[in-house]
Amino acid sequence: MEFKIYRYDGEEESYDTYKVPPEEGQTVLDALFHIQENIDDSLSFRYSCRGAVCGSCAMLIDKVPRLACRTQTKRVKEQKREIEHYKALDEGEELSEDHILVEPLPHLEVKKDLIVDMEKFYENYERIEPYLKPDEKPEKEHLMDQEKVSELEDYTNCILCAACFGGCPVNGENEKYLGPAALAKLYRFHIDPRDDDDRLTLADHEDGWWACDFYTNCRKVCPKDVPPNFGIGKARQELEEEDD
Amino acid sequence: MEEEEIYEHEVIVVGGGLSGLRAALAAGKKGADVAVLSKVHPLRSHSVAAQGGINASLGNVLEAENDSWEDHAFDTVKGSDYLADQNAVEVMCKEAPDVVLELEHMGTVFSRLEDGKIAQRPFGGAGVPRTCYAADRTGHNLLNTLFEQTVAESLDFYNEYFVTSLVTRNQEIQGLIAWDIENGKLVGFSSDVVVLATGGYGRIYNRSTNALINTGDGALLAYEAGVPLEDMEFIQFHPTTLYGSNILITEGARGEGGHLKNKEGERFMKDYAPEAMELAPRDIVARAIITEAEEGRAFEDEYIHLDLRHLGKEKIDERLPGIRQIARDFAGVDPVEEPIPVQPGQHYSMGGIDVDIDGKTEIDGLYAVGECACVSVHGANRLGGNSLLETVVFGRRAGKEIGETLKKKEKDKEEIKKALEIDKEEINRLLHEEGDVLYSELMDELREVMFEHFGVYREEESMKKGLSKIKELKEKYDSVHIDNQNENFNTALIRTLELKSMVNIAEVVAMGSIERKESRGSHFRRDYTERRDEEYLYHTKVEKTEGGPKLRYEDVTLGQFKVKEREY
Repeated sequence: MEFKIYRYDGEEESYDTYKVPPEEGQTVLDALFHIQENIDDSLSFRYSCRGAVCGSCAMLIDKVPRLACRTQTKRVKEQKREIEHYKALDEGEELSEDHILVEPLPHLEVKKDLIVDMEKFYENYERIEPYLKPDEKPEKEHLMDQEKVSELEDYTNCILCAACFGGCPVNGENEKYLGPAALAKLYRFHIDPRDDDDRLTLADHEDGWWACDFYTNCRKVCPKDVPPNFGIGKARQELEEEDD
Repeated sequence: MEEEEIYEHEVIVVGGGLSGLRAALAAGKKGADVAVLSKVHPLRSHSVAAQGGINASLGNVLEAENDSWEDHAFDTVKGSDYLADQNAVEVMCKEAPDVVLELEHMGTVFSRLEDGKIAQRPFGGAGVPRTCYAADRTGHNLLNTLFEQTVAESLDFYNEYFVTSLVTRNQEIQGLIAWDIENGKLVGFSSDVVVLATGGYGRIYNRSTNALINTGDGALLAYEAGVPLEDMEFIQFHPTTLYGSNILITEGARGEGGHLKNKEGERFMKDYAPEAMELAPRDIVARAIITEAEEGRAFEDEYIHLDLRHLGKEKIDERLPGIRQIARDFAGVDPVEEPIPVQPGQHYSMGGIDVDIDGKTEIDGLYAVGECACVSVHGANRLGGNSLLETVVFGRRAGKEIGETLKKKEKDKEEIKKALEIDKEEINRLLHEEGDVLYSELMDELREVMFEHFGVYREEESMKKGLSKIKELKEKYDSVHIDNQNENFNTALIRTLELKSMVNIAEVVAMGSIERKESRGSHFRRDYTERRDEEYLYHTKVEKTEGGPKLRYEDVTLGQFKVKEREY
């Protein structure tokens, strides 16, 4: 299988093509390691768990933001997820049946090869004050229904890989937009029965809840099936009801 | 050397997983100026991958209503094959309910029982359901909670820094030297305290559930600074890792009722642990699976089946959603429809940096917590659900102790500058000097050697062969070569630095394994199949000396639980 990989060394951009022998169960991350260890050790990318839990290796694989470790090379072509087309996808190299195209996540500055500057993403996360602000501390645990837990889990499952950030057309247009992950996190605290803060107003502005255009790419590219679009919709609905 | 290349903090925590963040938060709470330094962003630490849960005798489940810290401690000590220090186990089990409730108050969304209390599931080696969990993503949930707290407390972070050495003077910590991965330069850190929280050394094995970053870097740093490594030969092999990628399939899957079956469709655990069956401790189940394979009852001689089908889709989706996703993504198997192919793989490092119950090492101001340390609460075999517990209990203890006893030390930046120069030379050598050995080949070879010679079953002759191979690899490291001469984001350089940790740690593991002529917990020898308390109810301590690693034995702290035969 051929891999066409975006390269950037701080000065020049290019694409390099590498041939990687196929192996049973091989993931795109395995292929990147094969290249790095056997062909070209100057290739840079982030990695850690290799099991789709740590969120290090989100990148654009055949123009879809995905975790390299979770993407089987032989399924890249057949697993074409239909996402809403956006500007960033027209940049860079074109898709081809001949190779798997690997590029850094859009909407974040590239530092080297497949490594992007995640600062903006983390800043947005910090801006929503992502920590529980409980009204009381019971002697033991707060009691909670399992049903509520399940509802929360839809959002706490987020691994902050930024695939949604790179897949959101609005993040490409509006630099100040908090983005799907931060808003999903904010919604998670909003629906947490233990939290006593007014969470909705924190993003009640044009770069928060109201910036979303419901392309739903966030949901489609999320490796953990987190539904930011749903949380954002609910938040807006609640805010509108408050106004009524 | 410019002045601004030396950063200063009172406390530097190396590693941003659960133990590191918990220690940093506790020290910060006491007013210390704390910075966390890690080779990856904290949320990418291996803690995030922990699945099954965290033990505490909350007694929330009806059948466990009389649970107590003493029962938890007994199970832990028995599970450890009596090698754990009972004073340390006591501390851990006593503090367990408090740390779990504290995490809940900080925001962790634990799974719940019908009455709204934190849910608890049965785990291997435990008398009653004692393992609190957040579905099968407990580590992910806890790590996010603690990271959120660090945002609330505005702690300082140095992400993507790789520590190359600790700086000490007269048995006192002075700071450390680290490679700034992004900018490709060495920087010095001057501090009163350094806490190592760097995780285990699992990746010295080729079949491992561990993140790729678990290469034993912290253990080597302490060892090189003169701190002994303790009980390094005790390596936990998890019975159920996904065939192919060796990604962890939580013990919770068996806790929820999953069955292990050989290719004849038999629940073979009846022949090994008739009472506990699938919920016998990990060392016993792992050996059972290897024996099944050796006797021709495994699929393709390699794996057996973990069957969850009888649990039904609803239970699998509620309690084990992550497992279902992993099996589908990485093995193309849906556990609702088919059994999961599993085999044993390296999972946990029981051994580590020798510390006391407050995380202190022999060097003044140097602490270690979590998997990189050996307190010792796991002895020869760790029980599931006790590793997450260890990280937060001892992380918090060390952080508090540091915060309360912090004193400004007289620091000599000259020492740091000197160390910087030495490390610069080493990095230059790696980057620019010609060599003829590829780091990746060395790494692969080492991992194969470890699994073949120091795996689930061990014996003298094979281990000796293994050790001499490790020594050869260690020598070859001096001729290691990387092509990439760029300084920034040089992944090959980081891998090569990790390889140095790996070969040196492997040697200590090998030595301890050869010298311990008995079978205890995870260390099972075919040539000495019995536990030999008289000779070996001792901790192994290995120290670095001029003449190479030097091994000695030290007493185990016994206590209320008498040393007995271990049966399940």
